[in-house]
Amino acid sequence: MSYQRTQNFVSRRQQNWSRNQNTVAFASAIKLGPVTHTVLIALMITVLGLIYLTQATRATGYDYAAQKIDSQIADLNIQKSDLEVENARLTALETVKNSSIATTMTTPVATDYIH
Amino acid sequence: MKLELQKGSRSKVLAGLMLAMMAIFVARLFYLQVLQHGYYVDVAKSEQVKRLKIPAKRGLIYALDGETPVPMVMNQIVYTVFADPQMVNDSNKIIDVIRQVAGGNARADLQALLDKKDSRYQILATKITRIQADKIKAENLKGIGFQENSQRVYPEGQLASQTLGFVNNEGLGQYGVEEKLNDRLTGTDGILQSVTDVSNVPLTIGNNNINRPAINGEDIVLSIDRNVQSRVETALVDALARTGANEASAIVMDPQTGKIMAMANLPTYNQAEFNKVSDAAVFNNNVASKPYEPASIVKTFTFSAGIEKGVITPTSTYNNTDHIQVDDAIVSNATLGRTGILTMQQVLNWSLNTGSVTVAQKLGDGQNITREARNTIYDFFYNRFKLGQKTGVEVAGEASGTIISPEEVEGNAVRYSNMTFGQGLDLTMVQVAAAFSSMINGGNYYKPTVIGGIIGKDNVYLPSTYKIDSNSISKSTSDQMREMIHNVRISASSTLDKPGYYIGGKTGTAEVAQNGAYLTNKTIASYVGFGGSEDLSSYVIMVKIYSDSEDRAMRGSQEAGPIFTDISNWMLDYLKIQPKG
Repeated sequence: MSYQRTQNFVSRRQQNWSRNQNTVAFASAIKLGPVTHTVLIALMITVLGLIYLTQATRATGYDYAAQKIDSQIADLNIQKSDLEVENARLTALETVKNSSIATTMTTPVATDYIH
Repeated sequence: MKLELQKGSRSKVLAGLMLAMMAIFVARLFYLQVLQHGYYVDVAKSEQVKRLKIPAKRGLIYALDGETPVPMVMNQIVYTVFADPQMVNDSNKIIDVIRQVAGGNARADLQALLDKKDSRYQILATKITRIQADKIKAENLKGIGFQENSQRVYPEGQLASQTLGFVNNEGLGQYGVEEKLNDRLTGTDGILQSVTDVSNVPLTIGNNNINRPAINGEDIVLSIDRNVQSRVETALVDALARTGANEASAIVMDPQTGKIMAMANLPTYNQAEFNKVSDAAVFNNNVASKPYEPASIVKTFTFSAGIEKGVITPTSTYNNTDHIQVDDAIVSNATLGRTGILTMQQVLNWSLNTGSVTVAQKLGDGQNITREARNTIYDFFYNRFKLGQKTGVEVAGEASGTIISPEEVEGNAVRYSNMTFGQGLDLTMVQVAAAFSSMINGGNYYKPTVIGGIIGKDNVYLPSTYKIDSNSISKSTSDQMREMIHNVRISASSTLDKPGYYIGGKTGTAEVAQNGAYLTNKTIASYVGFGGSEDLSSYVIMVKIYSDSEDRAMRGSQEAGPIFTDISNWMLDYLKIQPKG
């Protein structure tokens, strides 16, 4: 595939301005049309949007993780609370009084203090 | 030309239409975005932002086991199982699972509840535990949901129920410590305001998020010792069985601090099932809320006033004739026949009304209970011993009782003669126990309290400190009264006490007033006493027992005294007080 230099109109003012300058200037052989420009801009906007969404959903993702941990903490607290209640019940006075050990205990015949 | 004109006018029309449409859009957008800005922001917030309440945990209530706090009232998460009958597709399985797992907590008519297809919410079981809820959840029953609730649980059963009180269905403390200290126990709910997703999961996006954590209620340690409380309750149960009485109350105090170690009443109730109680009177803590005439117990306060004022000593004498004239009334002794010259110690030993009236006369001009005598008695009873007024003990429903001032018409000599032996005034047991404590501890009045401390950060028990509120009498008077009351005990019940200890006590037998007259066949028996070593009294016990049967009059020495003895002898061992000799 070959490319041709484009014939451009050069105004007199520009010619005057460019006088005594190198008349050989680089011009890209690739020219982008208006459709390409539009597509590129749309792509750039899409990429920027994706970056934004990534950042935003990352924060939200942390929220879900935090919520999961909070939920686990709450569950464990409930379990802890249940165990504390059970422990209190097992060490309650009535439970101790009715325990097998307590029922086999006897009253001492006599007690005395060491003076 | 015609074509040009047509072309130009169509463009202008189109331009005009475009402009008009733009104007409409701009106007509409201006209306929506500027004029209605606030409204739509609120609508959006109500959809996206949720304000969630973070419930504060109600404070726990502890008692003591010696010096160690033990939980008496705790919180437990329980679940209510509900069904959406419109979503339910297998009611038989649901009924089987609920009945099998929830047992007695399931509703009886489950099938009928699930058949209510026009309803979206039917409660199938209440107060099931987390483990039970997990079992039901594991069955993946369609149309079944769970609600989480916190409820109070009582590991020690109904021990000290009237001191503790309960929490009603609205979460408010009722009766006892739960009501009196409701503000301290409740705490402050927190707030979580945040943008949430459809599942109500809070998200950190948004500018106006609020996260204010809940402040949990205070964990309070009572001065109630669970061992003493249990022993006192047992002693009262035994006493009712022994005597046939139907009401009894008792309080045990540390006279050196004002700490209440036990406070019990019968009949009592189970606070976990408060909604099943038919007679709300059992919720009351009668020790603090039911004033009565404590009768001869009050003689100890009259004698304290006499000794403090220097008008009597334990060996002062008077001539007992069993009757004494006070204005237009004659006061008689309950026990007749001990006439002649008697000492004040004998008056107290035999609980002679005429002796206490004589003390009141000596506080006046020697012959009459003058205004000056009445002022002195009122000063001692009301101001120094703080009788007839609320003590501030931390249980709900405390009554003030009544002591008629001499400034009132009813505060005449006859009333004050009756007041010297405990009639014509209404006092609560906690008032009498606190006043009696100050009488035998050197004259230091401590405000009675059920608070032993709090559970601070890191679950550390922080005991309260106790200070003297005021001085009721001098140490000299206190020492003399302590010895007199000890001698009263020796004269009546010395063989009942464990040897080597210094025990004292005074009986009281009050006739019940009804329709303006005292009934001799209905009496309230009381006993107040102290115990410990000769140097230091470690406890004060007051008991009261009553029968509403007309043929079962209670006597302080016969029905109330043995309860004191029972508790007192046990206390000596429990407190490990070393006997003398």
